[in-house]
Parts: sequence; C-alpha cells; structure tokens
Amino acid sequence: MKKFIVSALIIAVFIAFSCKKDEESERFTLLTSISWFSDTLLANGVDASGPGQMLEKFKGEVIFNKDGSGTFGGYVGTWHFAYDETKVVLASDSLIMPLTTNIEELTKTSLKVTTSFPNFSDPENPTDIRMTFKPK
Amino acid sequence: MMRSILTLFLVLIFLNASAQDNSVFIYGRVFDAENKTPLVGANIIYGRNQGSISDTKGNYSINLSPSLLNLTFQYVGYVSEVKHLNLNSGDTIQLNIGLIPAVNEIDQIVISANKVEQKLSDLTVSMTLIKAYSPGNNHISDPQELIAKTPGIEVLDGQASIRGGSGFSYGAGSRVMALIDGLPVIAADAGNIKWQFLPLENLSQIEIIKGASSVLYGSSALNGVINFRTAEAGIEPRTKFFVESGFFDQPSNKDWKWWDTPRVFTNASLSHLQKFGNTDLGIAATFAFDNGYRKLNDEKLGRFSLRLSHKSEKLEGLKYGLNLNSGMTQKIDFVLWENAITGALKHSESTATKLNGTFYAIDPFISFRRNKNTNHDLRMRLQATSNRFPDDEQTNSDAITYYTEYQLQHKLSHFATMNIGFSENYSEVLSNFYGDHQTLNLAGFSQFDMEVKKNVKLVAGVRLEQNIQDGNPDELVPIFRTGINYKLAGYTFLRASFGQGYRYPSIAEKFASTRLGTVKIYPNPDIQPESGWNSEIGIKQGLMIGSLNGMIDLAAFYSQNKNMIEYVFGQYYDPVSDSYDLGFQAWNSENSRVYGTEFEFQLNQSIGMFTNSFRGGYMFMYPVEYKKDDSETEFLKYRRKHSANLEWIIRLGKFDMGLNLYAKSKIMKIDKVFLGELTREDIMPGFYDYWLVNNKGYFLSDLVLGFRKSEQWKVSLAVKNLFNTEYMGRPGDVLPHRNISLRLSGIF
Repeated sequence: MKKFIVSALIIAVFIAFSCKKDEESERFTLLTSISWFSDTLLANGVDASGPGQMLEKFKGEVIFNKDGSGTFGGYVGTWHFAYDETKVVLASDSLIMPLTTNIEELTKTSLKVTTSFPNFSDPENPTDIRMTFKPK
Repeated sequence: MMRSILTLFLVLIFLNASAQDNSVFIYGRVFDAENKTPLVGANIIYGRNQGSISDTKGNYSINLSPSLLNLTFQYVGYVSEVKHLNLNSGDTIQLNIGLIPAVNEIDQIVISANKVEQKLSDLTVSMTLIKAYSPGNNHISDPQELIAKTPGIEVLDGQASIRGGSGFSYGAGSRVMALIDGLPVIAADAGNIKWQFLPLENLSQIEIIKGASSVLYGSSALNGVINFRTAEAGIEPRTKFFVESGFFDQPSNKDWKWWDTPRVFTNASLSHLQKFGNTDLGIAATFAFDNGYRKLNDEKLGRFSLRLSHKSEKLEGLKYGLNLNSGMTQKIDFVLWENAITGALKHSESTATKLNGTFYAIDPFISFRRNKNTNHDLRMRLQATSNRFPDDEQTNSDAITYYTEYQLQHKLSHFATMNIGFSENYSEVLSNFYGDHQTLNLAGFSQFDMEVKKNVKLVAGVRLEQNIQDGNPDELVPIFRTGINYKLAGYTFLRASFGQGYRYPSIAEKFASTRLGTVKIYPNPDIQPESGWNSEIGIKQGLMIGSLNGMIDLAAFYSQNKNMIEYVFGQYYDPVSDSYDLGFQAWNSENSRVYGTEFEFQLNQSIGMFTNSFRGGYMFMYPVEYKKDDSETEFLKYRRKHSANLEWIIRLGKFDMGLNLYAKSKIMKIDKVFLGELTREDIMPGFYDYWLVNNKGYFLSDLVLGFRKSEQWKVSLAVKNLFNTEYMGRPGDVLPHRNISLRLSGIF
C-alpha cells in the first residue's frame, strides 16, 4: 500500500515538473525587450497627439511587459497578441474599450501599428489611426 | 392470495364483532410516503402503550372503544404521524398512512463527491442536496429555476455560478459541470448547460458540489458539479403525474404590460418506475407550453427519458442497462429589450430568433462487482444536439459527443479504497456559426480514500488531462485534490479540502462569429484555458434532539483563478471582412479571487400534529480581480456580496404550506459597454438610467398551498413572486413578475 502511494506521488511530481514551458517567439521578444517611445500619432493622417486630441494619452513611453501588463503612454493596462501575432490588443481601465491594432512593422528600431476606430457620430466613416514608436 | 383472503376474513370478523358490541374498528396500511413501500412492523399506538403493529404488507387493524383519542403511527427512521380521532360507537374507519422518511440529514448517502457511495457527513467538500420532492412541492418544472433557488448559487440567464466562481459570459462556456447520473451533459458547441433537457422526473436527488471538482469530472468542473441522479425502481411499482397551468399577473410597472390576453403556461408530466424480476424500468415524459411574459420569448418543450437496467441471474454482481434522455424545444431566447420605458418586457426584434432544438443522450452501461472489494464500471454516452434557426440558417449548428468512462474501484484494505479510471470525450461540431471542429479530451484519474486513523478520513486524487482540438494537442495538464474529514464528536464533523480546476475553452469561445442585432460576436482562436484552485474549511453539525432532526453547516472558502475567460466589449478585427468594428470577444481577462463564508441548514421537526421542515442558507463573498503584485483592483463582474434564502414547509393533516424567501444584494459590476456614454443607448435603450435606480438587490417570496385529497391525489396552488417585485438578472433580463399556478398531482 505504502509503495503504491509513494509511486503515485513520484509520478505526479514528475509529471508536474515535466510540463514544457512556453517558448518565446521572436515577435514577443522584440516587443517586450525594448522600451518604446511615441514618434508619430496620426488620426486620418493628421497629428492627434495635442492637448484634448484623440491620441493625446498615447504620447510618451510605451512598455510591453512579458507578463501581459503594460504602459502605453498615459494608459496603464494589459496587452496580448492576436491572429498569429499579426495584431496586438491593448486594454486599460482608462481606455473606453480594448483597442485592436495591426502590427505593420516590428523591428529592433521601429514599431508601427494601425487600426480603424468607429466614429459614433458617423458610423460609415471610421477614424484611421496610425501610431509609430521608436526605441527610447 | 391466501394471505389477502385471510386479511379480508379477519376484517369481516372484526366488522361483525364491532357491530355487535358497538366498539370501533380501525384498519389500514402503513407505507413509505415517497415510494409507497409497505412498512413492516410499524407501531400504531394509542392510550398508554396500547396498540398494534403492521404486518408484512404494512396492514394493521385495531378494535377500540368509542372515545376521543390520538392515534400515533411510528416507524424507525420515519417522522411519526398523529391522527386526532373522535370515535363513535359502531364506526369503521380506514386509515392509510404514508410516513415521511426522517433520515438524519447528515447520514444521507451521496455519490458525486468521490464517485463512491458515502455519507454526507463524511465528505471533505461542501455539498448541497436537493430532494426529489422539491420540484413538485414548489411547482418547479425548469431545472434552471430549481438550481437558481439553491443557497450559494446564482444562475444568470442559464449561466450557473457556485460561490461566485462565474459571472455572465453571454451563454458560452460553463465553469459548472452538469451531470446526469454521473455523466457530463455539457453541449459540445457552446460548452453550456442545456437546462431544459435535464430530468426532474423520476429524480432520486440532485447533488451539488461547491468547489473545484476537475480531478474527477475534468474540464468544466472548475467551479463545481451539479449531478442529477435518477431514481431506481422500488419494490412496488410507482406512477406519478402532474398537470399544471398558470398565468402571469400584471407587472408592477403598468407601462410594461404589452398583452391583451393572459400570458399562460402549462406543464404536464407522467413517470413510472417498476421492477420486472431482475429488470428495472423507469420511464418519464414532460411537456411544457409557455406563452412567456415577454413578447417574442415563448417556448414549447417536450422531454422524454428511459431508464433500463438488468441484474444478471447467471453471474452475480453483473449489472447492465441503457438510459436515454431526450428532448425537443421550439423557442425564442431573450437577448435584448426594446427600451426601458414601455418595452422592458418586449424582446427587441433585432435579436429575436426562432430556435428549434433537439437533444438526446443514450447511455449504455455495464458494471461488475466481483466481490465486496472490487467494482468495475464501464459507461458510455452518445449525445447529440441540434440547433436550427429557421429565419437565420447561418447560425445552425449540430454537435455530437461520444463519451466513454471506465472506473475501477478496489478496496485495498479495511481502511483504504482506490479509485482509478480513464475517460475519452470526442466531440464533433458542424456549423457555419462556429465552423466545423473536432475536440478530443483524454484523461486518466486516480484517487485514494483512506481512514488513516479512527474518525479521520483522508482523500487524495490526481488527474491527467489532454485536449486535442482540430488535431492540435494542448499540453498535458495535471490536477490535484486532497481533503480531510475528522469526526470530532457523534454528530460533529470538521472538514478541509483543496482542489485544482481547469477548463479548456469551448468551441463557441474560440470560434463563434455572428451578429445578434446590434451585438457582434468575434472569434478568438488564441484564447487559452483557464485554471484555478479552491480551498475550504467547514464544520457540519448533525442535530437529533427529541423530534428535531437536521443539520447545520458552516464553511469558509477561498478560490483563485487565472486566465479567466470572459466576454469583453471592444474594437476588434474581423478576419472575414478584413475590417475593425465593435462587439464582444472572449478574453483571458481576469485573475480573480473569491473568498467568503456560507451557512446552510436543514431542520425537520414534528410538534403534535404539525410537521415542519426548514431549509436555507446565507452566503457572504468578496469577489475581486487581482494583479501580479497581489493587489486587489476591482470587483468581479456579475457578482453579489450577499445572498440568503429560507424554505419553510409545514404540514397539518391533509394540508401543507410552503413559504420560500429569497434575498440578494446588488450586482457590484457589469460590462462597461452597458454604462459607457458612447455605447449604452445603442446597445440597450434606457438601460443606464434604469440600472442606476434599480440595481439595489431584491427580496422575493413564493407561497405554495397544498391539499391532499387522499394519499394518491394532491391539489396545490402556487403564487410565485408574491409581492410582485421587479428585479433583474443580467443586464436587460427582467425576471418573472407575480405568477399564479394550479397543479393537480397524483402518485399510484
């Protein structure tokens, strides 16, 4: 009886420790290993980073932590990849709702994302957003 | 035959004798009120220890002098019944008495906690029992309503939450596993519970485990288990039926009334249990027609079940059989209201879609008890569901599940039992809505129950589970549980337990892509499994004081989950149209913890001619999100801090009365989309203002009055939501206002 219980425990512990850990992808490493800083913040091709403008709070330092938390200018929240790491979704209690952006470029020297945000007063004409970031 | 003739002969002799000497003759039968089995050797007492006892068929007879007296019917393990009689000379009275079992609440036998039969008092986890008579006593035909009225449980639009473990996720996924006779009945596509097809007929009892139960029941049992156990045939055949009809009164907000003709509902059920030699048969059918108190929210339902089992004459210990549960429904599920001013009980036409649903589950099984120490069980389930939307065929879906489970139970010694098993669960979903997908779940589990010391019971178990979706295997997941039960005194039991839970995302959460009126649902193929653990300490105290019999239970619980899956409103990418839009998507959004206490009680007492039964509970919980640094941030969505209920049933002779009281505090947090300035009016007009004023919690009461014309026939009247309280479940879901129903039921 004792042997049986001990064997079961050994097997259980072995299994628990043998579970493979997730390996980091290249995109994940690139995004999280660099502290980014906002470069251009455009809405419909026009700078929207000024006081009271749509992208004002994205201005500043952008950090994607490995644990999924992050700082996006003035927003503190979470991020995750979507659609095979072609999109990144940003969420924060201060943001009106989670924002899905398309990763246009991600290199050691540049991060460019775009998205289209619904225009509540004119649903047929959403706002096209383009944000670029450089390493800090 | 000879015995019947002899009894009749004796009755005639007594009749003759009583006619001659003006004495009184009382005769009849004593039996179990629930299954009609005769009670042999029951005491029928009057005066000072004078009386008679029932024979092998439960029959008795007494010859008395004319007088005013109390006749007491007693049987070990049953609630005594007293009949107050005014006897006149020459009277001949037939008194058939059905006694109600008075099993000590803590000695009741349950099976779900460890997949072996155990006394309720010996468990290491919290369990709530719903007795077979409860649905009938309370005019409940919908299993969802029955569970929602249980202490410590909330059901929001079909989504069950035990001790705050779940919120509301728009009908996809369930952290509570529903079982019929121990086998899972979660839908393969949406991963939800198909409440309307769960059986309330031929019920033995419903066992609810509160806490992570994934070791024995796997994915979806993260938060607990609800096991609907069906009854076996007794010695005597039993047929039960009821017909019920009712209507909805006017809502308290008169502006919400939209109908000219009464909104009525009708339910009917017939069930039968019988033994034929070594073969048990159980058969049941139920029909329900509900006009609905909401416009475009009606339902027609039919449910049929069959239970067939046979004990082999040739090989002792061999038992095999087949169970069938099936149903059909035609309904329109409620999604969003029209507006808060005049349209809260009108389903928004933009989301009203007709659904024709079918369900069946066929369960062949074979078990072999080799000797007193070893038991083999092989059980299978073929389950199929079909959702047909005549006006929106794009959202049709079919799902089929093949489930097999083998379990070996072996008594290793007089103090240790081993339970090992394997299961596979293969599901196939064919749908435009979800896409076509296959999921395979493979698992092995092992558990040991030990009495390590006198009065100390220990349980420890492990499960290994792997999910393979569309050919892509997920990682192998080990899950552990352990618990201890210590019998401190005769009726006092302490318990402590720890259990891990794990839930693989449903196909709906990963792949559903649709639009419900203004609400768009986005797929999230990257969604990850959620996991967590639960622990509790508790004390159960049995009570046997004079005629008082019952138990009280106090538990403190703590649970923690990570990667909790929730639907979040946001701006998402739609791969079909290659564009961005607003809608809901399943997310691994929360790390959560819920802690609190729960108190439950069940008390039965006979005082003179009154029989009282009290059941109820109170739960306090504190459900919060937490961050990596362990700081708690906000309340979890769709949870309440306080909930309480009380059920009181009182019986006096042929009359009984049931009073149910429920109280719940306000919902602490809901999705931002319903409150945000930019979105709230587009989603649900008027909801924001309504919520600000009315999200205060609520108090409800139901009243049921019953009259037993005889042991076979009963008429009862129920008034649910007696004070016509206006209250809401998830946003926009105004729950039923006052409704009145009349039920005729019989048992033969």
